Amino acid sequence: MQVRFAGIGGQGVVLAGVILGEAAAIEGLNVVQTQDYSSASRGGHSIADVIISKDPIYDLIVTKADVLVALAQLGYNTTKGSLKEDGLLIVDTDLVKPDREFIGAPFTRLAEETTGIALTVNMVALGYLVAKTGVVKKESVEEAIRRRVPKGTEGINLKAFRVGYEEGLK
Amino acid sequence: MRYPFPVGKSDFIQGDEAIARAAILAGCRFYAGYPITPASEIFEAMALYMPLVDGVSIQMEDELASIAAIIGASWVGAKAMTATSGPGFSLMMENLGYAIMTETPIVVVDVQRSGPSTGQPTLAAQGDVMQAIWGTHGDHSLIVLTPATVQEAFDMTIRAFNLAEKYRTPVILLTDAEVGHMRERVNIPNPEDIELVYRKLPANEEEAKYPFGDIHGDLIPPMPIFGKGYRTYVTGLTHDEKGRPKTVDAEIHHKLIERIVNKIEKNKKDIIDYETFELDDAEVAIVSYGIVARSAIRAVKMLRGEGIKAGLLKLNVVWPFDFEMIEKIAEQVHAIYVPEMNLGQLYHLVKEGANGKARVELIPKIGGEVHTPQEIVKAVKRCEKCI
Repeated sequence: MQVRFAGIGGQGVVLAGVILGEAAAIEGLNVVQTQDYSSASRGGHSIADVIISKDPIYDLIVTKADVLVALAQLGYNTTKGSLKEDGLLIVDTDLVKPDREFIGAPFTRLAEETTGIALTVNMVALGYLVAKTGVVKKESVEEAIRRRVPKGTEGINLKAFRVGYEEGLK
Repeated sequence: MRYPFPVGKSDFIQGDEAIARAAILAGCRFYAGYPITPASEIFEAMALYMPLVDGVSIQMEDELASIAAIIGASWVGAKAMTATSGPGFSLMMENLGYAIMTETPIVVVDVQRSGPSTGQPTLAAQGDVMQAIWGTHGDHSLIVLTPATVQEAFDMTIRAFNLAEKYRTPVILLTDAEVGHMRERVNIPNPEDIELVYRKLPANEEEAKYPFGDIHGDLIPPMPIFGKGYRTYVTGLTHDEKGRPKTVDAEIHHKLIERIVNKIEKNKKDIIDYETFELDDAEVAIVSYGIVARSAIRAVKMLRGEGIKAGLLKLNVVWPFDFEMIEKIAEQVHAIYVPEMNLGQLYHLVKEGANGKARVELIPKIGGEVHTPQEIVKAVKRCEKCI
Protein backbone atom coordinates (compact mmCIF):
# COMPACT_ATOMS: atom_id res chain seq x y z
CA MET A 1 0.00 0.00 0.00
CA GLN A 2 1.29 3.43 -0.96
CA VAL A 3 0.41 6.34 1.31
CA ARG A 4 1.45 9.91 0.62
CA PHE A 5 1.18 12.87 3.00
CA ALA A 6 1.40 16.30 1.40
CA GLY A 7 1.42 19.71 2.99
CA ILE A 8 3.71 22.63 3.65
CA GLY A 9 6.83 22.80 5.80
CA GLY A 10 5.98 23.15 9.50
CA GLN A 11 2.86 20.96 9.44
CA GLY A 12 4.71 17.87 10.64
CA VAL A 13 4.03 16.00 7.43
CA VAL A 14 7.30 14.03 7.60
CA LEU A 15 6.72 13.04 11.23
CA ALA A 16 3.28 11.69 10.32
CA GLY A 17 4.95 9.54 7.67
CA VAL A 18 7.67 8.38 10.05
CA ILE A 19 5.14 7.36 12.69
CA LEU A 20 3.00 5.47 10.21
CA GLY A 21 6.17 3.74 8.97
CA GLU A 22 7.30 2.89 12.47
CA ALA A 23 3.85 1.45 13.25
CA ALA A 24 4.15 -0.80 10.19
CA ALA A 25 7.67 -1.85 11.26
CA ILE A 26 6.32 -2.67 14.73
CA GLU A 27 3.84 -5.00 13.06
CA GLY A 28 6.72 -6.71 11.25
CA LEU A 29 5.76 -5.40 7.83
CA ASN A 30 8.30 -4.21 5.28
CA VAL A 31 8.22 -0.47 5.00
CA VAL A 32 10.04 2.28 3.16
CA GLN A 33 9.58 5.88 4.20
CA THR A 34 10.95 8.76 2.16
CA GLN A 35 10.36 12.47 2.03
CA ASP A 36 10.62 15.38 -0.30
CA TYR A 37 10.77 18.96 0.84
CA SER A 38 12.15 22.27 -0.36
CA SER A 39 15.17 23.77 1.44
CA ALA A 40 12.89 26.30 3.16
CA SER A 41 12.10 24.94 6.64
CA ARG A 42 8.67 26.55 6.63
CA GLY A 43 6.23 27.37 3.87
CA GLY A 44 7.62 25.24 1.03
CA HIS A 45 5.97 22.00 -0.02
CA SER A 46 6.57 18.96 2.14
CA ILE A 47 5.81 15.38 1.17
CA ALA A 48 6.19 12.14 3.12
CA ASP A 49 5.80 8.78 1.40
CA VAL A 50 5.17 5.48 3.13
CA ILE A 51 5.13 2.19 1.25
CA ILE A 52 3.98 -0.80 3.26
CA SER A 53 4.07 -4.40 2.06
CA LYS A 54 4.47 -7.99 3.15
CA ASP A 55 6.86 -8.47 0.19
CA PRO A 56 10.28 -6.85 -0.32
CA ILE A 57 9.90 -3.25 -1.45
CA TYR A 58 11.93 -1.96 -4.39
CA ASP A 59 9.97 1.26 -4.82
CA LEU A 60 11.29 4.37 -3.15
CA ILE A 61 8.68 6.99 -3.68
CA VAL A 62 4.99 6.79 -4.13
CA THR A 63 4.21 6.62 -7.82
CA LYS A 64 0.58 5.49 -7.65
CA ALA A 65 -0.79 6.44 -4.26
CA ASP A 66 -3.58 4.38 -2.75
CA VAL A 67 -4.12 7.15 -0.25
CA LEU A 68 -3.21 10.83 -0.46
CA VAL A 69 -3.54 12.94 2.69
CA ALA A 70 -3.41 16.65 1.78
CA LEU A 71 -3.04 19.17 4.59
CA ALA A 72 -2.48 22.27 2.46
CA GLN A 73 -3.50 23.45 -0.99
CA LEU A 74 0.14 23.72 -2.13
CA GLY A 75 0.76 20.13 -1.08
CA TYR A 76 -2.35 18.97 -2.89
CA ASN A 77 -1.50 20.84 -6.07
CA THR A 78 2.03 19.41 -6.09
CA THR A 79 0.95 15.79 -5.62
CA LYS A 80 -2.59 15.27 -6.92
CA GLY A 81 -1.29 13.63 -10.10
CA SER A 82 0.25 10.80 -8.08
CA LEU A 83 -3.08 9.59 -6.65
CA LYS A 84 -4.60 6.54 -8.32
CA GLU A 85 -7.85 7.17 -10.12
CA ASP A 86 -9.70 5.01 -7.59
CA GLY A 87 -7.40 6.15 -4.76
CA LEU A 88 -8.60 7.67 -1.52
CA LEU A 89 -8.17 11.43 -1.09
CA ILE A 90 -8.22 12.72 2.48
CA VAL A 91 -8.03 16.48 2.99
CA ASP A 92 -8.17 19.18 5.62
CA THR A 93 -11.54 20.50 4.47
CA ASP A 94 -10.80 24.05 5.69
CA LEU A 95 -7.53 24.36 3.82
CA VAL A 96 -7.78 22.26 0.69
CA LYS A 97 -10.28 22.65 -2.10
CA PRO A 98 -9.85 19.53 -4.23
CA ASP A 99 -11.09 19.11 -7.79
CA ARG A 100 -12.09 15.48 -7.32
CA GLU A 101 -13.94 13.25 -4.88
CA PHE A 102 -12.62 13.37 -1.32
CA ILE A 103 -13.27 12.73 2.34
CA GLY A 104 -11.86 14.57 5.32
CA ALA A 105 -12.42 16.92 8.20
CA PRO A 106 -11.11 20.30 9.33
CA PHE A 107 -7.99 18.68 10.82
CA THR A 108 -6.18 21.90 11.76
CA ARG A 109 -9.26 23.29 13.47
CA LEU A 110 -9.78 19.99 15.32
CA ALA A 111 -6.14 20.09 16.43
CA GLU A 112 -6.49 23.64 17.77
CA GLU A 113 -9.73 22.78 19.56
CA THR A 114 -8.43 19.65 21.29
CA THR A 115 -4.79 20.38 22.07
CA GLY A 116 -4.65 24.13 21.56
CA ILE A 117 -1.76 23.55 19.17
CA ALA A 118 -2.32 23.67 15.40
CA LEU A 119 0.96 21.77 15.01
CA THR A 120 -0.72 18.55 16.13
CA VAL A 121 -2.68 18.57 12.86
CA ASN A 122 -0.38 15.79 11.62
CA MET A 123 -1.54 13.42 14.37
CA VAL A 124 -5.21 14.29 13.83
CA ALA A 125 -4.89 13.49 10.13
CA LEU A 126 -2.94 10.32 10.88
CA GLY A 127 -5.69 9.14 13.24
CA TYR A 128 -8.31 9.82 10.59
CA LEU A 129 -6.29 7.89 8.00
CA VAL A 130 -5.79 4.87 10.25
CA ALA A 131 -9.50 4.73 11.13
CA LYS A 132 -10.55 4.99 7.48
CA THR A 133 -8.04 2.51 6.02
CA GLY A 134 -7.04 0.12 8.81
CA VAL A 135 -3.58 -0.05 7.19
CA VAL A 136 -2.05 -0.55 10.64
CA LYS A 137 -3.52 -1.11 14.08
CA LYS A 138 -4.40 1.84 16.28
CA GLU A 139 -2.24 0.39 19.08
CA SER A 140 0.83 0.16 16.83
CA VAL A 141 0.51 3.83 15.95
CA GLU A 142 0.15 4.77 19.59
CA GLU A 143 3.34 2.85 20.39
CA ALA A 144 5.10 4.57 17.49
CA ILE A 145 3.93 7.98 18.73
CA ARG A 146 5.38 7.26 22.18
CA ARG A 147 8.71 6.35 20.58
CA ARG A 148 8.96 9.16 18.08
CA VAL A 149 7.53 12.42 19.39
CA PRO A 150 9.66 14.73 21.58
CA LYS A 151 9.68 13.76 25.26
CA GLY A 152 6.90 15.42 27.19
CA THR A 153 4.64 15.80 24.17
CA GLU A 154 3.38 12.20 24.08
CA GLY A 155 0.13 13.17 25.80
CA ILE A 156 -1.00 15.89 23.43
CA ASN A 157 0.09 13.92 20.38
CA LEU A 158 -1.83 10.83 21.49
CA LYS A 159 -4.85 13.02 22.26
CA ALA A 160 -4.71 14.57 18.79
CA PHE A 161 -4.31 11.13 17.19
CA ARG A 162 -7.35 9.76 19.04
CA VAL A 163 -9.50 12.76 18.08
CA GLY A 164 -8.63 12.16 14.45
CA TYR A 165 -9.27 8.44 14.85
CA GLU A 166 -12.72 9.06 16.37
CA GLU A 167 -13.52 11.51 13.57
CA GLY A 168 -12.54 8.83 11.06
CA LEU A 169 -14.89 6.30 12.64
CA LYS A 170 -17.89 8.61 12.17
CA MET B 1 30.18 -2.67 26.47
CA ARG B 2 26.88 -0.80 26.47
CA TYR B 3 25.70 0.80 23.26
CA PRO B 4 23.57 3.95 23.16
CA PHE B 5 21.13 2.28 20.75
CA PRO B 6 19.38 -1.08 20.63
CA VAL B 7 21.50 -3.99 19.36
CA GLY B 8 20.53 -7.54 18.47
CA LYS B 9 17.16 -6.46 17.08
CA SER B 10 15.61 -4.55 14.22
CA ASP B 11 14.90 -0.85 14.17
CA PHE B 12 13.19 1.62 11.83
CA ILE B 13 15.87 4.18 10.99
CA GLN B 14 17.31 6.46 8.30
CA GLY B 15 20.30 5.47 6.18
CA ASP B 16 22.41 8.21 7.78
CA GLU B 17 21.53 6.96 11.25
CA ALA B 18 22.36 3.39 10.19
CA ILE B 19 25.80 4.54 9.01
CA ALA B 20 26.52 6.20 12.34
CA ARG B 21 25.43 3.18 14.38
CA ALA B 22 27.38 0.79 12.16
CA ALA B 23 30.50 2.94 12.50
CA ILE B 24 30.25 2.75 16.29
CA LEU B 25 29.76 -1.03 16.13
CA ALA B 26 32.75 -1.28 13.75
CA GLY B 27 34.88 0.34 16.44
CA CYS B 28 34.96 3.91 15.16
CA ARG B 29 35.81 6.17 18.08
CA PHE B 30 36.76 9.38 16.32
CA TYR B 31 34.47 11.42 14.11
CA ALA B 32 35.25 14.85 12.70
CA GLY B 33 32.86 16.66 10.43
CA TYR B 34 31.20 19.78 9.18
CA PRO B 35 27.41 19.77 8.79
CA ILE B 36 25.96 19.54 5.30
CA THR B 37 22.67 18.35 3.84
CA PRO B 38 22.03 15.41 3.30
CA ALA B 39 24.82 14.03 5.54
CA SER B 40 24.15 16.06 8.70
CA GLU B 41 22.18 13.30 10.41
CA ILE B 42 25.33 11.20 10.54
CA PHE B 43 27.08 13.98 12.41
CA GLU B 44 24.08 14.52 14.70
CA ALA B 45 24.05 10.83 15.61
CA MET B 46 27.83 10.77 16.16
CA ALA B 47 27.64 13.86 18.38
CA LEU B 48 25.02 12.07 20.44
CA TYR B 49 26.61 8.61 20.60
CA MET B 50 30.37 9.22 20.75
CA PRO B 51 30.53 10.63 24.30
CA LEU B 52 28.53 7.60 25.47
CA VAL B 53 31.08 5.11 24.08
CA ASP B 54 34.17 7.05 25.22
CA GLY B 55 34.71 8.33 21.68
CA VAL B 56 35.18 11.78 20.23
CA SER B 57 32.95 13.67 17.84
CA ILE B 58 34.24 17.07 16.87
CA GLN B 59 32.98 19.84 14.59
CA MET B 60 35.85 21.22 12.56
CA GLU B 61 35.96 24.58 10.80
CA ASP B 62 35.43 22.98 7.41
CA GLU B 63 35.76 19.75 5.44
CA LEU B 64 39.48 20.19 4.76
CA ALA B 65 40.09 20.15 8.49
CA SER B 66 37.60 17.32 9.05
CA ILE B 67 39.45 14.82 6.89
CA ALA B 68 42.80 16.09 8.21
CA ALA B 69 41.60 15.41 11.75
CA ILE B 70 40.55 11.84 11.03
CA ILE B 71 43.88 11.12 9.33
CA GLY B 72 45.64 12.30 12.47
CA ALA B 73 43.31 10.25 14.66
CA SER B 74 44.03 7.17 12.58
CA TRP B 75 47.77 7.60 13.10
CA VAL B 76 47.29 7.49 16.85
CA GLY B 77 45.37 4.26 16.44
CA ALA B 78 41.69 5.23 16.24
CA LYS B 79 39.25 3.97 13.69
CA ALA B 80 38.05 7.26 12.27
CA MET B 81 35.36 8.57 9.95
CA THR B 82 34.02 11.75 8.40
CA ALA B 83 30.88 12.28 6.34
CA THR B 84 29.92 14.95 3.87
CA SER B 85 28.20 15.64 0.57
CA GLY B 86 29.42 16.86 -2.83
CA PRO B 87 30.59 20.38 -1.93
CA GLY B 88 32.45 19.11 1.14
CA PHE B 89 33.72 16.05 -0.71
CA SER B 90 35.34 18.37 -3.25
CA LEU B 91 37.16 20.12 -0.42
CA MET B 92 38.40 16.78 0.90
CA MET B 93 40.15 15.77 -2.30
CA GLU B 94 43.54 17.18 -1.33
CA ASN B 95 43.76 15.31 1.95
CA LEU B 96 42.17 12.20 0.47
CA GLY B 97 45.30 12.03 -1.67
CA TYR B 98 47.39 12.52 1.46
CA ALA B 99 45.58 9.60 3.11
CA ILE B 100 46.24 7.41 0.08
CA MET B 101 49.91 8.42 -0.08
CA THR B 102 50.44 7.90 3.67
CA GLU B 103 48.37 4.68 3.60
CA THR B 104 46.06 5.82 6.35
CA PRO B 105 42.96 3.74 7.10
CA ILE B 106 39.97 6.11 7.16
CA VAL B 107 36.34 5.96 6.12
CA VAL B 108 34.87 8.89 4.20
CA VAL B 109 31.12 8.93 3.62
CA ASP B 110 29.80 10.93 0.68
CA VAL B 111 26.02 11.26 0.78
CA GLN B 112 25.63 12.44 -2.79
CA ARG B 113 23.39 15.32 -3.78
CA SER B 114 23.05 17.01 -7.15
CA GLY B 115 25.94 19.19 -8.23
CA PRO B 116 28.12 20.75 -9.41
CA SER B 117 28.72 23.31 -6.68
CA THR B 118 25.92 23.61 -4.12
CA GLY B 119 23.43 22.26 -6.69
CA GLN B 120 20.29 20.68 -5.22
CA PRO B 121 21.05 20.22 -1.51
CA THR B 122 18.09 18.01 -0.62
CA LEU B 123 18.01 15.82 -3.72
CA ALA B 124 19.86 12.64 -4.60
CA ALA B 125 22.37 12.08 -7.38
CA GLN B 126 25.16 9.75 -8.41
CA GLY B 127 27.33 12.48 -9.84
CA ASP B 128 30.36 11.85 -7.62
CA VAL B 129 31.30 8.38 -8.87
CA MET B 130 34.27 9.49 -10.93
CA GLN B 131 35.26 12.00 -8.27
CA ALA B 132 35.26 9.29 -5.59
CA ILE B 133 37.59 7.21 -7.73
CA TRP B 134 39.70 9.85 -9.47
CA GLY B 135 38.96 13.14 -7.67
CA THR B 136 42.35 13.43 -6.04
CA HIS B 137 45.35 13.95 -8.25
CA GLY B 138 48.11 11.53 -9.11
CA ASP B 139 48.17 7.80 -9.75
CA HIS B 140 46.40 5.91 -7.03
CA SER B 141 43.77 3.38 -6.05
CA LEU B 142 41.26 3.19 -3.24
CA ILE B 143 37.98 1.44 -2.45
CA VAL B 144 34.47 2.75 -3.16
CA LEU B 145 31.32 1.03 -1.81
CA THR B 146 27.77 1.77 -2.98
CA PRO B 147 24.79 0.81 -0.76
CA ALA B 148 21.25 0.62 -2.15
CA THR B 149 19.24 0.12 1.02
CA VAL B 150 19.38 1.22 4.64
CA GLN B 151 20.43 -2.31 5.60
CA GLU B 152 23.26 -2.16 3.07
CA ALA B 153 24.29 1.28 4.34
CA PHE B 154 24.65 -0.38 7.75
CA ASP B 155 26.44 -3.52 6.52
CA MET B 156 28.74 -1.68 4.12
CA THR B 157 29.83 0.83 6.74
CA ILE B 158 31.15 -2.05 8.84
CA ARG B 159 32.79 -3.50 5.74
CA ALA B 160 34.29 -0.09 4.89
CA PHE B 161 36.11 -0.04 8.23
CA ASN B 162 37.27 -3.62 7.81
CA LEU B 163 38.63 -2.97 4.32
CA ALA B 164 40.30 0.28 5.41
CA GLU B 165 42.06 -1.54 8.25
CA LYS B 166 42.97 -4.60 6.20
CA TYR B 167 44.43 -2.70 3.25
CA ARG B 168 45.62 0.42 5.10
CA THR B 169 43.72 2.67 2.74
CA PRO B 170 40.94 5.24 2.65
CA VAL B 171 37.56 3.71 1.83
CA ILE B 172 34.72 5.80 0.41
CA LEU B 173 31.16 4.89 1.31
CA LEU B 174 29.40 6.45 -1.67
CA THR B 175 25.73 6.78 -0.91
CA ASP B 176 23.13 9.41 -1.74
CA ALA B 177 20.42 11.65 -0.31
CA GLU B 178 17.77 9.04 -0.98
CA VAL B 179 19.44 6.21 0.97
CA GLY B 180 20.64 8.70 3.59
CA HIS B 181 17.21 10.08 4.37
CA MET B 182 15.10 7.01 3.69
CA ARG B 183 13.81 5.02 6.65
CA GLU B 184 13.64 1.24 6.51
CA ARG B 185 13.59 -1.64 8.90
CA VAL B 186 17.20 -2.63 9.64
CA ASN B 187 18.53 -5.66 11.46
CA ILE B 188 21.23 -4.61 13.88
CA PRO B 189 23.24 -7.68 14.89
CA ASN B 190 24.62 -8.46 18.31
CA PRO B 191 28.08 -6.85 18.55
CA GLU B 192 29.71 -10.24 19.26
CA ASP B 193 28.39 -11.52 15.92
CA ILE B 194 30.07 -8.74 13.93
CA GLU B 195 33.42 -9.67 12.45
CA LEU B 196 35.90 -6.83 12.89
CA VAL B 197 39.31 -6.32 11.31
CA TYR B 198 42.15 -4.36 12.87
CA ARG B 199 45.19 -2.97 11.09
CA LYS B 200 48.46 -4.85 11.19
CA LEU B 201 50.86 -3.37 13.76
CA PRO B 202 54.66 -3.78 13.74
CA ALA B 203 55.64 -6.93 15.63
CA ASN B 204 58.93 -5.41 16.81
CA GLU B 205 61.25 -2.44 16.46
CA GLU B 206 62.78 -3.80 13.28
CA GLU B 207 59.39 -4.01 11.52
CA ALA B 208 58.50 -0.54 12.75
CA LYS B 209 61.43 0.85 10.79
CA TYR B 210 59.60 0.10 7.52
CA PRO B 211 56.12 1.62 7.73
CA PHE B 212 56.03 1.98 3.92
CA GLY B 213 57.80 -1.15 2.76
CA ASP B 214 56.58 -4.55 1.73
CA ILE B 215 58.21 -6.46 4.57
CA HIS B 216 55.58 -9.22 4.67
CA GLY B 217 55.36 -9.67 0.90
CA ASP B 218 51.63 -8.89 0.94
CA LEU B 219 52.04 -5.27 -0.20
CA ILE B 220 50.56 -4.01 3.08
CA PRO B 221 53.10 -2.67 5.59
CA PRO B 222 52.35 -2.77 9.32
CA MET B 223 51.36 0.65 10.66
CA PRO B 224 53.31 2.01 13.62
CA ILE B 225 51.01 3.97 15.90
CA PHE B 226 52.20 7.28 17.29
CA GLY B 227 52.82 7.16 20.99
CA LYS B 228 53.59 3.43 21.03
CA GLY B 229 57.35 3.78 21.21
CA TYR B 230 58.44 4.07 17.61
CA ARG B 231 59.74 7.07 15.71
CA THR B 232 57.87 7.36 12.43
CA TYR B 233 58.02 9.88 9.63
CA VAL B 234 54.81 10.43 7.68
CA THR B 235 54.78 12.60 4.57
CA GLY B 236 52.78 13.21 1.44
CA LEU B 237 56.01 13.55 -0.48
CA THR B 238 57.27 10.49 -2.28
CA HIS B 239 59.07 8.49 0.39
CA ASP B 240 61.19 5.38 0.77
CA GLU B 241 60.31 2.32 2.81
CA LYS B 242 61.31 4.09 6.01
CA GLY B 243 59.11 7.08 5.20
CA ARG B 244 61.94 9.47 4.37
CA PRO B 245 61.19 11.96 1.56
CA LYS B 246 62.88 10.96 -1.72
CA THR B 247 61.40 13.27 -4.28
CA VAL B 248 63.57 12.93 -7.37
CA ASP B 249 64.28 9.20 -7.51
CA ALA B 250 62.09 7.67 -10.23
CA GLU B 251 62.62 4.14 -9.00
CA ILE B 252 61.53 4.88 -5.44
CA HIS B 253 58.45 6.73 -6.68
CA HIS B 254 57.57 3.89 -9.02
CA LYS B 255 57.99 1.25 -6.33
CA LEU B 256 55.85 3.15 -3.81
CA ILE B 257 52.98 4.05 -6.13
CA GLU B 258 52.93 0.64 -7.77
CA ARG B 259 52.57 -1.01 -4.36
CA ILE B 260 49.83 1.42 -3.27
CA VAL B 261 47.90 0.64 -6.46
CA ASN B 262 48.63 -3.08 -6.41
CA LYS B 263 47.60 -3.71 -2.82
CA ILE B 264 44.09 -2.88 -4.05
CA GLU B 265 44.29 -4.23 -7.62
CA LYS B 266 45.90 -7.57 -6.70
CA ASN B 267 43.24 -8.12 -4.04
CA LYS B 268 40.30 -7.27 -6.29
CA LYS B 269 38.69 -10.65 -5.77
CA ASP B 270 38.60 -10.12 -2.01
CA ILE B 271 37.33 -6.55 -2.24
CA ILE B 272 34.81 -6.65 -5.07
CA ASP B 273 31.26 -7.51 -4.10
CA TYR B 274 28.20 -7.79 -6.31
CA GLU B 275 24.83 -9.50 -6.66
CA THR B 276 23.12 -10.85 -9.73
CA PHE B 277 19.44 -11.16 -10.42
CA GLU B 278 18.07 -13.31 -13.27
CA LEU B 279 21.40 -12.89 -15.06
CA ASP B 280 22.19 -16.55 -15.88
CA ASP B 281 20.05 -16.82 -19.02
CA ALA B 282 19.77 -13.10 -19.73
CA GLU B 283 20.00 -11.70 -23.23
CA VAL B 284 19.94 -8.13 -21.99
CA ALA B 285 21.86 -7.00 -18.90
CA ILE B 286 21.39 -4.02 -16.65
CA VAL B 287 24.42 -2.92 -14.65
CA SER B 288 23.44 -0.78 -11.71
CA TYR B 289 24.66 0.34 -8.29
CA GLY B 290 23.36 2.24 -5.29
CA ILE B 291 19.81 3.50 -5.07
CA VAL B 292 19.03 2.98 -8.78
CA ALA B 293 19.64 -0.78 -8.42
CA ARG B 294 16.33 -1.05 -6.55
CA SER B 295 14.40 0.28 -9.52
CA ALA B 296 16.53 -1.93 -11.79
CA ILE B 297 15.42 -5.09 -9.94
CA ARG B 298 11.79 -4.14 -10.51
CA ALA B 299 12.57 -3.25 -14.13
CA VAL B 300 14.08 -6.72 -14.72
CA LYS B 301 10.91 -8.35 -13.40
CA MET B 302 8.74 -6.14 -15.59
CA LEU B 303 10.86 -6.80 -18.70
CA ARG B 304 10.72 -10.56 -18.08
CA GLY B 305 6.95 -10.21 -17.80
CA GLU B 306 6.95 -8.69 -21.28
CA GLY B 307 9.08 -11.44 -22.75
CA ILE B 308 12.45 -9.67 -22.73
CA LYS B 309 15.07 -11.84 -21.02
CA ALA B 310 16.67 -9.22 -18.81
CA GLY B 311 19.08 -9.69 -15.92
CA LEU B 312 20.78 -7.45 -13.40
CA LEU B 313 24.31 -7.05 -12.15
CA LYS B 314 24.18 -4.96 -8.98
CA LEU B 315 27.59 -3.62 -8.00
CA ASN B 316 28.19 -3.14 -4.29
CA VAL B 317 31.75 -1.98 -4.97
CA VAL B 318 32.43 0.34 -7.92
CA TRP B 319 36.19 0.55 -7.36
CA PRO B 320 38.24 -1.56 -7.80
CA PHE B 321 36.33 -2.48 -10.96
CA ASP B 322 36.02 -5.96 -12.45
CA PHE B 323 36.45 -5.25 -16.15
CA GLU B 324 36.84 -8.98 -16.88
CA MET B 325 33.46 -9.82 -15.36
CA ILE B 326 31.79 -7.16 -17.53
CA GLU B 327 33.47 -8.63 -20.61
CA LYS B 328 32.10 -12.09 -19.74
CA ILE B 329 28.59 -10.66 -19.42
CA ALA B 330 29.07 -8.80 -22.70
CA GLU B 331 29.89 -12.11 -24.38
CA GLN B 332 26.59 -13.53 -23.13
CA VAL B 333 24.17 -10.66 -23.79
CA HIS B 334 23.69 -8.45 -26.80
CA ALA B 335 23.18 -5.23 -24.86
CA ILE B 336 24.10 -3.79 -21.46
CA TYR B 337 22.14 -0.90 -20.02
CA VAL B 338 23.56 1.39 -17.35
CA PRO B 339 20.95 3.50 -15.54
CA GLU B 340 22.70 6.19 -13.52
CA MET B 341 21.65 9.39 -11.76
CA ASN B 342 24.21 11.34 -13.76
CA LEU B 343 25.04 11.96 -17.41
CA GLY B 344 27.28 8.91 -17.71
CA GLN B 345 30.05 7.94 -15.28
CA LEU B 346 30.14 4.23 -14.44
CA TYR B 347 28.86 3.79 -18.01
CA HIS B 348 32.38 4.48 -19.27
CA LEU B 349 33.89 1.74 -17.10
CA VAL B 350 31.23 -0.71 -18.26
CA LYS B 351 31.88 0.23 -21.86
CA GLU B 352 35.59 -0.38 -21.39
CA GLY B 353 34.86 -3.71 -19.74
CA ALA B 354 32.42 -4.79 -22.48
CA ASN B 355 35.29 -4.36 -24.91
CA GLY B 356 33.00 -4.05 -27.92
CA LYS B 357 31.38 -7.45 -27.33
CA ALA B 358 27.96 -5.99 -26.55
CA ARG B 359 26.26 -2.69 -27.12
CA VAL B 360 26.43 -0.52 -23.98
CA GLU B 361 23.67 2.04 -23.51
CA LEU B 362 23.43 4.74 -20.89
CA ILE B 363 20.11 5.53 -19.21
CA PRO B 364 20.91 8.89 -17.62
CA LYS B 365 18.74 10.87 -15.24
CA ILE B 366 19.55 14.08 -13.36
CA GLY B 367 17.51 16.56 -11.36
CA GLY B 368 17.12 14.70 -8.09
CA GLU B 369 14.65 11.89 -8.73
CA VAL B 370 15.61 8.23 -8.89
CA HIS B 371 14.77 6.38 -12.12
CA THR B 372 11.39 4.69 -11.83
CA PRO B 373 11.32 1.02 -12.90
CA GLN B 374 8.98 2.10 -15.72
CA GLU B 375 11.55 4.58 -17.04
CA ILE B 376 14.23 1.87 -17.19
CA VAL B 377 11.81 -0.53 -18.91
CA LYS B 378 10.83 2.13 -21.43
CA ALA B 379 14.46 2.99 -22.23
CA VAL B 380 15.40 -0.69 -22.66
CA LYS B 381 12.38 -1.41 -24.86
CA ARG B 382 13.00 1.63 -27.04
CA CYS B 383 16.59 0.52 -27.69
CA GLU B 384 15.68 -3.15 -28.12
CA LYS B 385 13.29 -2.12 -30.89
CA CYS B 386 15.82 0.03 -32.68
CA ILE B 387 18.32 -2.83 -33.30
